[in-house]
Amino acid sequence: MGMQSLKTSVINNVQNNLNTKFIKKLLRFISVKPVINLYGQSFKSIADRYLNIYSIRYLNEVYSENYPVAYGSLFLPYELINGLGLKPFLPEVIGGFTAGLGVSGKTIKTASNKWYSSDLCTFHRSATGASEMDLFPKPSFIFSSNLACDAACKSFQSFSRKYGIEKNYYLIDVPYENDKESLHYLSKQLENIFYDVSEKLYKKPDIENLKKAINYSNEFRKFAIEANNIRKQLFDYPQYFNGLNFILPFFGLCGTKETAKLYKIMRDELKEKLLKQDKNKKMKKVLWMHLKPYYRNEIFNILENNNCRVVFEETSNIFWEELNPEKPFESLAGKMLSNPLRGSGENRINAMRNLADSYDVDGVIMFSHWGCRQSNGLSRIIKDSFNRQGIPVLILDGDCVDINNCPAGQIKTRVEGFAEILNSV
Amino acid sequence: MYTCGIDIGSVSTEALILDIDESKNYKILSYVVNKTGSNSKTAALESFNKALTDAKINRNEINSIIATGYGRVNVEFADKNITEITCHASGVTLIFPATATIIDIGGQDSKVIKIDKTTKKPIDFLMNDKCAAGTGRFLEVMAKTLEINLENFGDIFLNTKEKVDITSTCTVFAESEIVSLIGHGVAKEKIIKGLIYSIADRIISMISRVGLEEPVCLTGGVAKNSGISSAIEEKLGIKLSIPFEPQITGALGAAYLAAKIDHT
Ligand SMILES: Nc1ncnc2c1ncn2[C@@H]1O[C@H](COP(=O)(O)OP(=O)(O)O)[C@@H](O)[C@H]1O
Ligand code: SF4
Repeated sequence: MGMQSLKTSVINNVQNNLNTKFIKKLLRFISVKPVINLYGQSFKSIADRYLNIYSIRYLNEVYSENYPVAYGSLFLPYELINGLGLKPFLPEVIGGFTAGLGVSGKTIKTASNKWYSSDLCTFHRSATGASEMDLFPKPSFIFSSNLACDAACKSFQSFSRKYGIEKNYYLIDVPYENDKESLHYLSKQLENIFYDVSEKLYKKPDIENLKKAINYSNEFRKFAIEANNIRKQLFDYPQYFNGLNFILPFFGLCGTKETAKLYKIMRDELKEKLLKQDKNKKMKKVLWMHLKPYYRNEIFNILENNNCRVVFEETSNIFWEELNPEKPFESLAGKMLSNPLRGSGENRINAMRNLADSYDVDGVIMFSHWGCRQSNGLSRIIKDSFNRQGIPVLILDGDCVDINNCPAGQIKTRVEGFAEILNSV
Repeated sequence: MYTCGIDIGSVSTEALILDIDESKNYKILSYVVNKTGSNSKTAALESFNKALTDAKINRNEINSIIATGYGRVNVEFADKNITEITCHASGVTLIFPATATIIDIGGQDSKVIKIDKTTKKPIDFLMNDKCAAGTGRFLEVMAKTLEINLENFGDIFLNTKEKVDITSTCTVFAESEIVSLIGHGVAKEKIIKGLIYSIADRIISMISRVGLEEPVCLTGGVAKNSGISSAIEEKLGIKLSIPFEPQITGALGAAYLAAKIDHT
């Protein structure tokens, strides 16, 4: 089987066999050595290749029923969950995968048949639909936080009902302010979770394993910062490289050896690209805010064909300090509190302006994903704030998961129009 | 040199041929406004050929062609595609050089473009193309339901004092609302007045999102509807400039920008 055809045939097979039994079988099949290597070869970038191989292996473990699975929303300290020996499963991220696999039409429809409001963000709606279709592994624990995403607390609660594990549903309350009191309050919650979950798992609290996760997380952080610094001058990316494809390792698999390795690979790959780059190469630099559509789309090709390059993404930002393995809970609480999406909108605006400065961007694209209030609510202020500095902003209305809510022609005209503006100055 | 601009909209297709010299002095040799119909490729080719005939020049005398509008990618014989945002800005500032804001109301979309006064280039824009409400097609459907020629809407608006509010924004619901109003004996003129105000309100909301800056130019087929322009002027308390042929500004801008294409 050829490389490209393996990928295509995986997608076709999933589309035609939407059930857990098949998904498990497929994951088992691709995870074995010769097949996974062949699969990996279909990715042009080395970092992409490692990411995809690693994601498949991880999913295979999650679906294997050999490990306790923990559902988690995006903005959690996954070092804690990985440090507890749980296998994290991120329904929102998988919601994004459903778009890539071309099955989000079905999952979203299932959700709407079950009365989930079409107002709900499709990352959640598609995930809920998939869970209603019994496509997800059964969780032992469910975690969510009220950091940034208001939809997560509610839709994760409904998962806990569905699987009858209300007692193992933890909602982490992240305070609005970032001060000493908040730090204490939050780190106590994380500590309680650690001991409570250990007890429920009938095992001795393994603080050493948590420290190990923290160390891996620091390693990942270090490589990511180096990769991010390289990106300040880089235009010549590996083909199809897109920072917005690394959401799963950046968040959910943070604190694993593999994520640290992935970012080392990424750093090395980008470094080599930079060394080979034509010194005179110039493109218009774009900062991307929020997420992107995860189904096949032309946005990034359009930008590149029009001399524009996304040089950084909001979701690639290392916003936290190095963690202290001797103070795991406090460090992780600190990480959560330093997230620019916490608290006042000023935090996010300041963070984005700093990024725009350090990447010296010519324009900002803010993808306004349908139903994401925490992000879209700020779009006007973000636009005004950048415009005052003379940086054009495109607020791109669309949907990251539902292709039917994001007509390609309309997106094309907006993105091209914006690129023309950037190129005219 | 001769250049051509082709603007494929959802309702109409325009082709325009320009004679332009090195100092950028230009003269419009011909222009054609056609229906786009079901096949935008055919519409583009037919309009182009008609424009050539009208200009009395041959195809091979055309130096370069730029296609714009939502169907721009379908014009295979064009040298380049540029969005209607940039082309409108270029075309409008040729006719009214001081323009700071363009309102373009076409068949299935409406947009507001903000222009930098010194560079004459767009710096921001906002488009509504998700829904037909507030566009030319909406008016066409209502005209049909009311059995009144769209060309008469302007005069009716100006000569009618009272209006009846149309509450539905959805084209289909607005249509049944009108049918029911007619059933209740409401004068069609009042309905038209109400319809025009409702469209003007939607446009004004778009303008305020981009930020109103004068002078403002109104383009697109709907600019031929003097009711709409009067309603916008009345509500904003400003005077709009309207090109002699508001449907061709996109094609004019495209033809003008085509002069920059270097074939060497
Ligand atoms: N003479 C006219 N009087 C009133 N309205 C007109 C006239 N000609 C065109 N229109 C309006 O213009 C619309 C088409 O606008 P146009 O800018 O040509 O569309 P597009 O470029 O999007 O195809 C029609 O739907 C109609 O409402
Ligand atoms: S897109 Fe917004 S609403 Fe949806 S999961 Fe992300 S933060 Fe939550």
